[in-house]
This record gives sequence, C-alpha cells and structure tokens, in this order.
Amino acid sequence: MRLPSLKSRRLVSALMFAGAALIAGALIGACTSDDDDQQAQAVEQQQQVMQQQQDQPQAQVSGEPRGNTIQLVQDRGTLKCGVKQTQPLFGNRDADGNVTGFDIEFCKAIAAAVLKDADAVEYVDASDASTRFELLADGQIDILIRTTTITSSRDMELDVDFAQTTFYTGQGFAVRKDSGINSTSDMANAAICVQTGTTTEQNVADHFTDIGLNYEPTGGLSQDVAAAFFEGRCDVLTADASDLASRIVVRDDADDYQILPQIISKEPLAPGVRDYDSDWKDVVNWVVHGLIRAEEIGLTQANVAAMAANPPNTEVARLLGVPFEGGSVSTLGFDAVDAQFIQRAITAVGNYGEIYEREIGDAIERDCTLNALARPLPSEAVDCGPGEGGILYALPYR
Amino acid sequence: MSQQPSTSLPPPDLVPLIYQRGFRRLLQQGAYVGVTALLAWYVYDALNLRDFGFGFLDDPAAFKVANQWITDIDGVTNNRITMYLVGVWSSIRVIFVAILLSTLVGVVVGVARLSSNWLVARLAMLYVEVFRNTPLLMQVVLVYAIFLVGAPIIQDVAVIGDFAFISNRGLAIPWPVPDAGWWGVPDWFVGVWVALLIAIAAAAMAVRRQRQNIERDTGQPQFANRWAFGIFAVGALVSFIALGLPVSIDRPIVEGTRYLEGIVIRPEFAALTIGLTLYTGAFNAEIVRGSIQALPRGQTEAANAVGLSAYQRMTLIILPQALRQMIPSITNQYLNVNKNSSLAYAVLYDDLFRVAGIIQNKAGHALEMFFVIIVTYMLISFLISVVMNFINARVTRVGV
Repeated sequence: MRLPSLKSRRLVSALMFAGAALIAGALIGACTSDDDDQQAQAVEQQQQVMQQQQDQPQAQVSGEPRGNTIQLVQDRGTLKCGVKQTQPLFGNRDADGNVTGFDIEFCKAIAAAVLKDADAVEYVDASDASTRFELLADGQIDILIRTTTITSSRDMELDVDFAQTTFYTGQGFAVRKDSGINSTSDMANAAICVQTGTTTEQNVADHFTDIGLNYEPTGGLSQDVAAAFFEGRCDVLTADASDLASRIVVRDDADDYQILPQIISKEPLAPGVRDYDSDWKDVVNWVVHGLIRAEEIGLTQANVAAMAANPPNTEVARLLGVPFEGGSVSTLGFDAVDAQFIQRAITAVGNYGEIYEREIGDAIERDCTLNALARPLPSEAVDCGPGEGGILYALPYR
Repeated sequence: MSQQPSTSLPPPDLVPLIYQRGFRRLLQQGAYVGVTALLAWYVYDALNLRDFGFGFLDDPAAFKVANQWITDIDGVTNNRITMYLVGVWSSIRVIFVAILLSTLVGVVVGVARLSSNWLVARLAMLYVEVFRNTPLLMQVVLVYAIFLVGAPIIQDVAVIGDFAFISNRGLAIPWPVPDAGWWGVPDWFVGVWVALLIAIAAAAMAVRRQRQNIERDTGQPQFANRWAFGIFAVGALVSFIALGLPVSIDRPIVEGTRYLEGIVIRPEFAALTIGLTLYTGAFNAEIVRGSIQALPRGQTEAANAVGLSAYQRMTLIILPQALRQMIPSITNQYLNVNKNSSLAYAVLYDDLFRVAGIIQNKAGHALEMFFVIIVTYMLISFLISVVMNFINARVTRVGV
C-alpha cells in the first residue's frame, strides 16, 4: 500500500487536531453547564435540609455554608477531633496508644453533648502545627482542639472560626537555673529554640525587635526543639508557658530548669471549627461555657445526677435540661441538640475545675491566673488599679 | 487478517467506523483532551473556592530563620518571599556542599573497592553496604543526635589547636572577613579583583593551549594543566596581595554561651550535609566502580604495556573513559541530593521546605505554597541537569 504523501498526512493530522479541539470544547461546555446544574441542585438541597438558609437569595462564595457539621457528626455517629499527640498534659499519646490530656476532655464533653456518648470520638493526629488548619478546612476533622491560639489573622485569613477559649496562657521562656538569665534583656545574641509552625516565632521576633536585641533561632517541631534545648543546644526554649511546663514536668531533672515569670504574649487557646457553621460553633461554645458555669454553681461529675433528679433552682434545671418542680423543659433554643446536652457533658468529664485538676493539677498553677473563675467578683476585688481587676480580655491582634 | 493477502481487504468505506485508524485516533485524542479539560476545570473550580492567589507572600514575614550567612534579614521588616529565599539559599548551600563532597567520597571509595589491597577493598565495601542499605532519614538524624549528645555542651567547649572550637552549638573555625584594607572601602575591590582573575585565567588558558600544542607536536610531556593551574594560583595570590590584602582572618572566640567572630558550622547544617554526603557517596562509589569495570580489560593491559604507573593508569586511561559512563548516573544522584535535602525538616535546619511550612502556618494557602515549593525544587533540579548535561556533552564530544 502506498503511503500518503507528507503533505496530505499533515493535512489529515491538522484536521484531526481541529476535530479534537472541537470535541474538547463541546466537552468543556457540557461539563461546565452540567456541573453548574448539579451544584445548584446541591445548594438547593442543602438549603432545604438546613431550613434556616431559605431566605438567602443567592449563596455567595465567601459566605456560603460549607456544610452542617452537627448533622454530619450525628449521621456519622463519631466526632472527629483533631488533637495534639505530642504534648503531655494537653494532648499526648501514651505508651499504650491512649490519647489523654486537657484538650481531649473537651472532645469527650462535646461528643457526650452531641452524640450522647463520650467515647464516640475519633482522635485524628493534628500534632503538626503547619497542617492543622488544612485538616479542618478539608473536613478531615470536625473540630480542632489542639492548644491553638486565637489570632485576628487566623480568624480572618483561614477557614477557621474559634469558639470559647478553654485555656489562657502566654508565651514564656524556659532556661537552666544556672544560666544567669532572668529576663529577655539578658538574652542578647542567645541561641533560642523556637517551636515553628506556631505564633511563637512571630512573638519572639516582635519582642526582640522591640527590645533591640539580636538572637539566633533554632526552629523545629515542639518535641524536637525541646529535646535540643534539654541537650544544651540552645540557651533558651520559648513556647506557650503551658507548653514549657508540660515539657519540664515530665523530666527527672525538672528542678534544673525554670520558667521565667516574663510573659511576652497573649495565647488564648480555643477550639477551632470551620467558618460559616455557626450552629456547630454555638454548641461547642456553650458546652465550654456550660462546664465553666457548672464549676461556678457547684455542679460536679459526682452530684450532677442527684441535681438533675431534684434541681435546687431554675438555673440548674435549665442548665441540665430537666423540668423544675413539674414545669416544662427549656430547650434554651438549641435545635440540633436536645436539652440535656450540658448535663451529659458534665456527667462525662465533670466541670471545668475537675478537668483542670485531673489533667493539669499542680503542673501549672491555677489560682490567681486567668484560668481560675472570675472571683472575687470585680466589685468585691481589692487593690485594683484604675480599670483593672475585671474580666475583659482582648484577643491578640496578629 | 494479517495472514490474508492484502488484496482481500474490504474497501475502506466498508470498514466499520470504529476500526478506522483516523477515527480511532480522533476518538482517543478527543477523550484525552476532554479528560484533561475536565481535570483543569475541576482544579480551577477548587482553587476558586479557596481564594487562590500569591499576594500573601508580600506580607511582612514576622519570623526569623537561622542562617549564619545572611544575618541582616531580621524577618520583621522583610516580607515572606524574602524569608523563603533565605530558606532557598540555605538549601542550595547544603546541596552544593553535599554534591561536591559526595563526588569526592564516591570517586575515592569507588576506586578503593577495586583496590588489590584486601583490607582497603573490604572496608570500602563495608561502607557502601552500610550506607546504601539504611534509610537516609536515619543517617541524618543519627548524625544530628551524635552532634547534640556526643559533642560537649558549650560550657565545656573543646578547643582544637587554639583556633577552632567544637561544642553542640557547632564547630567554630577562623574565617576571612573583608576589611577596609590600605586603600579604603572594599566595595570596588571585588569587581577589580574578579576582572584581574579573569585576565589571569585567560592568560593561563593561553599558556595551556600553547603547551598542549608543543606536546602534540613534539611528543615531549609539557604538563600543560599543571602550568595553567600554577599560573592561575600564583597570579590570584599576587594580585590579591598587590591589591592591599583587604581581608583579615577572624579567629573565633567563646564568650559566655556563644561563639563570636569566625564562622560557625552549625550542627544542623553539618548533620544534613554529612548525612547526604555519606548516603549519596555510597551510591556514587558503586557508579564509579561499575563504570570502571565496564571498561574493556584491554585498556588496563594496554596501559600496563606502555609502562604507566598505577596512578597514571587510573588518571590518564581509566577514569577519563569511565567518566563517560558515570555522568548520566551521577546526575541522577545529584538530583536526589536536591530532593533529599528536604530532610532538613528532621534536624531543625531552616531549608526552603521548613520556611515554606512556617509561612503556611501563618497564612494558610497550602496549595500556593506547595506550588512554590515544587517550582523551586524543579528549578534547582533543572539547574543541576543543565550543568551536568553541559559536562556530559563535553566528555562525550570525542568518540572512543
């Protein structure tokens, strides 16, 4: 068979290319319109399911609800809780593979509130600080409870919304007791081990610029830099004071180290949820508040059942979701969870003070810190400067 | 079909459409373009939802990274991309040093494996087998752990010959620093000296060519390379001194818990570089050995026959020919050094990957950051490939 001439072969291939381009164009057009329809349908369905979105005329990209996490969690039957697994006291995986810590208790409390089962939690490893927000944004976790600081830029830039703070701390410095360092002004050109992937680096950079000193950073994951510090690689280890305490308390030579009283930043640690999911955030918020309120009014894991059976006053009845003297039960307006959600949370983990005592205890002083109850009430406080002694706490702008 | 004579083929218009070659190709290419377009649209759509953009790289960095060479970038006034470039520079330093050292290790160990000395050959084999068969991550972490735990803490710093110090803060060695010299600022100095060096190098090459010509014409050894190198070295030194010797050697000192003056090779840099060197060196050694053994035995015998010494045989006959075999495989190893340098993550070294991680944590935008990381690693790989292809073209220019 004779081969077609070069020219005609070129012509054929040019035609074929044109044909392919046409098909591609048609495909793109078809796909785009198809998917637009599907998307519109999905949005419609979502709106029907969620009811409260009905009056929204057109879903905008930025403010579009990214799903209903409560519904998702209840359908799935487990809560996917992103936690740290490398920090004693707050979120740590022990030798037996159990995850324990202060943050873990809040996962359990929320699971008890939403799923009626404190053990229906799947602990997802969010130890790596630099990917934790992606886990949340991508829906691999429902909630991030991982010693995460609320900051303005995280709230604005990332797809994360913060609920009520569970632990107030600030960035501090740990040094060897024999180092002769008493404050950051003694740290000119010091080698400083800094945990990367946190707000820590920025605080230390800001602070040293403010005081006009230079320093030499060694950055890394928190457990790695802590190890380097304890080997004498650096003079100073800086992290949240709570983090420092948890690293030092587990050591045999804990007495050789001290945490300087100087605190250079505010680090309110709070649970993070996805943006534009306020029902879910509300539940998380009020579980945390409920546990704190329980401590204020003396509800404990031990007495909650008795209190629920025979509530002493209307507030206890409201908080526990039980009728007061034969009246009706107040739902407090929560649709997605039933009225007893706080009661279940307290039954599962106890009140805030009990959680603190159980998980942190004496490792981090509680009395007279921001993590204690606001008592004496401001009006009773003595020796307060003008405008001081209250409970106003602005979140950090950074 | 193929067994039938071609005359029995049905006329083209009777063949079903699906069996026609042109239509099938059209279908295949259409499907390919369609799937690609679908993927592209999917990615575009996903990015749209995420607010894709690179503007965040221009925001203030607000963090500091360790780099003992670039100390004037504080991270407070600089933007994120600048800090990223500091990380890139840190990576390139490690890659460059590891490539040089691993090549050296590779050639020495590769030749040693073929040594007739039993002990030397076995030791070389032991080295290759140990480092080729254990994970690089383990080696890097091990070297770092040895530095951290094994080296004395700075309070008990070890002094080497009164000019260098070693502790787990690093190895402090003397280092030349430019100073004002006899005739004022050193700013002009670099330009003038580099211009002089180029002139001296040109002269050295001219002499080399001339001597090579004489050697070719007369057959008498003229040592062209040695002459050229000697002229360049002496010329560089003399011109440097003549220009006023605007450098002084800074000897390190220890004050309190820190090194001053000199330069510090930090344990993080050392661990990563040594790890990469040992690991890649083991592979390079095998490549060198294989390339040498691939040469026909006659080459060695011929060299022996004309009375060359073992050293001359290796440097004049064997290695130049083996080089042709080596370079493509060695290039792969160099590219691996580039990629493996990201293990800096394990030893607290602030390479580009770690700095990118810091930026990601501050600004989110993981997709954009990974795009930047991928492009950076590909650019470095591309650079290595270009250089190696140039060298390869040079050594294969002459046919054997």
